[in-house]
Amino acid sequence: MVGKWQLKDHEAEKKLFNHRLVVAGVFIVVLFAALILQLVNLQIYQHEYFTARSDGNRMHSQYVPPARGLIFDRSGNLLAENQPIFTLTVVPEQVESFDETLEILNRLIRLTDDDIEQFNSRLQRNRVPFSSVPLRYILDEEEKSKVAVNGHLLPGISIEPQLVRRYPLAGLTAHSVGYVSEINREELDSLSDAEKENYGGTNHRGKTGIERTYEDLLHGTVGYEIVEKNNRGQVMRRLDRTDPVAGKNITLHMDAQLQIAAENALGDFRGAVVAIDPNTGGILAMVSKPTFNPNLFVTGISSKDYDILVKDEVNTPLFDRTTNPYPPGSTIKPFLGLAGLHHEHIDYDFAIEDPGYFRLPGVSYRWGDYTLRTQIGGGHGHTDLMKAIYQSCDTFFYDLGNRMGIDTIHDFMAKFGFGNNFAVDIAYARTGVLPSREWKMASRGEPWYPGDTINSSIGQGYMWATPLQLATAVSIIANEGKVVSPRMLKAVDGELFEPIIENPMPDVMVNDSDYWRYIEDAMTMVVHRPFSDQFRDYGTAYESIAMADREMSYKMAGKSGSAQVVGISQDILSSSDIMVSDLNKDHGLFISFAPAQNSQIAPQIAIAVFVENGEHGSSVAGPIAKQVIDTYLLDILKLDFFTVEDTPHSEKQVRASDE
Amino acid sequence: MNNRDFIRQAPRTESSSNRSGSIWRFVHTDPPLLVGLILICCFGLLVLYSASDGNETVVRRQALGIVVGILAMFIVSQFNVHVFRSWALSMYGAGLALLALVLIIGVEAGGARSWIDLPGIPSFQPSEIMKIVVPLMIAWYLGSRPLPPRFKHLFWSALMILIPAVLIIIQNDTGTAIMVMMSGLFVVLLAGIRWRIVITGFLALLLASPAWYLFLAPEHIKIRILTVFNPYLDPTGAGYNIIQSQIAIGSGGVYGKGYGNGAQSHLDFIPESNTDFILAVLAEEFGLLGILFLICLYLFILLRSSYIAYSAKDMFSRLLAGSITLTFFMYVFVNMAMVSGLLPVIGLPLPLISRGGTAIVTFFVCFGLLMSIQTHGRLKEA
Repeated sequence: MVGKWQLKDHEAEKKLFNHRLVVAGVFIVVLFAALILQLVNLQIYQHEYFTARSDGNRMHSQYVPPARGLIFDRSGNLLAENQPIFTLTVVPEQVESFDETLEILNRLIRLTDDDIEQFNSRLQRNRVPFSSVPLRYILDEEEKSKVAVNGHLLPGISIEPQLVRRYPLAGLTAHSVGYVSEINREELDSLSDAEKENYGGTNHRGKTGIERTYEDLLHGTVGYEIVEKNNRGQVMRRLDRTDPVAGKNITLHMDAQLQIAAENALGDFRGAVVAIDPNTGGILAMVSKPTFNPNLFVTGISSKDYDILVKDEVNTPLFDRTTNPYPPGSTIKPFLGLAGLHHEHIDYDFAIEDPGYFRLPGVSYRWGDYTLRTQIGGGHGHTDLMKAIYQSCDTFFYDLGNRMGIDTIHDFMAKFGFGNNFAVDIAYARTGVLPSREWKMASRGEPWYPGDTINSSIGQGYMWATPLQLATAVSIIANEGKVVSPRMLKAVDGELFEPIIENPMPDVMVNDSDYWRYIEDAMTMVVHRPFSDQFRDYGTAYESIAMADREMSYKMAGKSGSAQVVGISQDILSSSDIMVSDLNKDHGLFISFAPAQNSQIAPQIAIAVFVENGEHGSSVAGPIAKQVIDTYLLDILKLDFFTVEDTPHSEKQVRASDE
Repeated sequence: MNNRDFIRQAPRTESSSNRSGSIWRFVHTDPPLLVGLILICCFGLLVLYSASDGNETVVRRQALGIVVGILAMFIVSQFNVHVFRSWALSMYGAGLALLALVLIIGVEAGGARSWIDLPGIPSFQPSEIMKIVVPLMIAWYLGSRPLPPRFKHLFWSALMILIPAVLIIIQNDTGTAIMVMMSGLFVVLLAGIRWRIVITGFLALLLASPAWYLFLAPEHIKIRILTVFNPYLDPTGAGYNIIQSQIAIGSGGVYGKGYGNGAQSHLDFIPESNTDFILAVLAEEFGLLGILFLICLYLFILLRSSYIAYSAKDMFSRLLAGSITLTFFMYVFVNMAMVSGLLPVIGLPLPLISRGGTAIVTFFVCFGLLMSIQTHGRLKEA
């Protein structure tokens, strides 16, 4: 040891060490200088860039969806409201493992395969990165707290309060008010950029009915807010906000009470009721049965539920029977009779001797009257226009139609809206078919045959009309020719809605305005002309309406009709659920307005009732119309016809015709 | 304590402590170092309070760590550093034994199986002890031999550095292994190893590094290295930390966003904001001026430590003090460079600032050694 110590040169070693210490010092200075240069670079030269990045990290602009406008009926009952719910949402970018998250969620709350399937389809849509996607709508309190308590296990999952549509009347307004449902990809693609922006925070969009027609009014304008979010996407505070503008509240002409009455009146039948206020054109009731629950569509209908709706080929609940056409049958006879009077093919005195069938000159085929199918057979005998209407004599109209020709029929019927849709806000309604030579050539490539005219004269053959068209046409009769376009929307945010109608339909003018009175009388007799000694000289609907309710305080004008069922698919015929014979039955129709023949009170309601396979217009559809009219005039308008002086004039009229 | 017999007053060494410092000398404390350390620790507590979102428990625990550290420093400084010198070999042997023991009964925590958890005593990391023991050992070994060291001394030194390093690497704690090696290597460098050996070694490393990178480096290390050049290669993975940290530093600007107003840290964008990346919080809230202030404090500590090394009375003390100074600097620089994006992300704390009691106590023990060197007399040299 001592030897080693002696070898050390302490001064030299200290010099060496100090030298190294200096070198180390230089290194320290150089490295710190490099560090400071980097800091200067970051904090001075790139300061603005990093400030922007920092703001970009924390500040997020997000859409604030506007509250959708509410829909009220004419007396202020809610038809569509917004229900606050809690929705389980996912920000996919923040989820570490989907499988794990779903497994945890499944243990906490019930997630069906449908939820997951729908969630996956929502993921496929365009969306803003880091925006949330609904996984399950409507969490109850228990589910909410379970998810909240386990929040730390579920990154990217949150519970968001939301407003979703709810239809208190459910199926009752499913077709007319329609429903909203989640925006799909095609709809998004079809939006303009400005619209896309406006729908930035919106999940839903009107798909059918009023919800679709007035989507622009109901939706409102999107708002924005700038929020500060932390690294986990939680909103820490709100920095700025532009409030959304809520959609407009709209009021419909529809009356919920009448809607309910119409639905009840239809009972178990498949069919449609359309009721219009002839004074305004406002649609008071619009019911299609069977129906479905539109609330199912709002939060995403499961494929199972949807299958049930779609695969029901007999009831076709999704099919709107009010706006789809059927053969109108005898309900067109009053219009045809009016055409005959106006074009002077007939007058009040004109009459035929009805043998029960009609034959074109030189043609052996006989067009039979429906009376031929009765046990007694035979015809109506001496028949003028009034009797032809209240007895619904086919032969009379075969003859009249044949003599008028299809061109005259087409042009006159068109004035009542047949073959056309001039509803203000029911653009989706079908136009049906008002046949003409041009139409047949264009659609069938065949010329018009005289036999086609004969069929059309009793509302069969090529003639197709929707219940909405029939209600509109009968309201024009009720108005004595004044055309009021049918409409759903009554007021927007409390202000009366005055639609701008381009090319309004001109009023229907006839040569002698007494013709209107005559047709009204004829139609009143359909309901009120009692049985008498005369053979076949009563109103077709007398038994089921006026006779059934002898206390009836007002008069209604009506016309029954039945239409042959045209095509039934083989699928349905082979179905065991339903009696095939039921589906072969004729459709029953009834059009009406009331009160009729009342000098004090103008007609308040015009109605068309369509009963699928109802067989008889007069005995099945007629009482339904009566029930609806009763509700409107007596329960809703509360008209008191006993104090209103009865009109001896019209009494006399009926009696006069009796003789 | 027969070492006290060798203590001899050295009036030349320090004029200031000569006059007023007798009391400090008596308690074996170096006032400038103590003031500097306490200033840094206070600044650290202030930053930690904000970084932890006002979590008082965290701050209190950190303060407790500091107090324990200062106590440990006092205790260590009471002993003449030569006591440690004479125990160097035994401590080194004991350290190696503990490292070997870790391999058998070690407990894993935070990815490294480096803890010993025996009933009755607090769990501890033998590798942490080696950060002090290795430079102590090399300083003893080279300090008692003629300098510059001969080749065979270098060989033995290298072996003494590598054995514990390899044992620590086996424990899967590469960061600590590197720091243990560095602390030993600094002694060798200060001991006057010839420049051509240093340069040769450096070139060899330089040449070997591509081969290492291509054939030996694990994938996650490669990505970390690549992200230094471009963090946006993997912006949500390996590059995320450095991107967020640079955003915090850069957006802090010259004056900072103000205390408690750092959006990056308070909205949890900075990962490890209490530990390795606490500098980003400081830079965001106190700006460039704040960092420069901290660098000044560190520089003050480094200057004082260098002075202690410079004025130490024997080669062992010089080497030990120098090595401690450089190791301390190494921590400061590597952490700062890593947080600002100059070096790959290595898990190293910012000394005395980052949350973590163990590291703080270790640093204070080192400064205790420095104070011991400064305040005890020169050992009688042959």
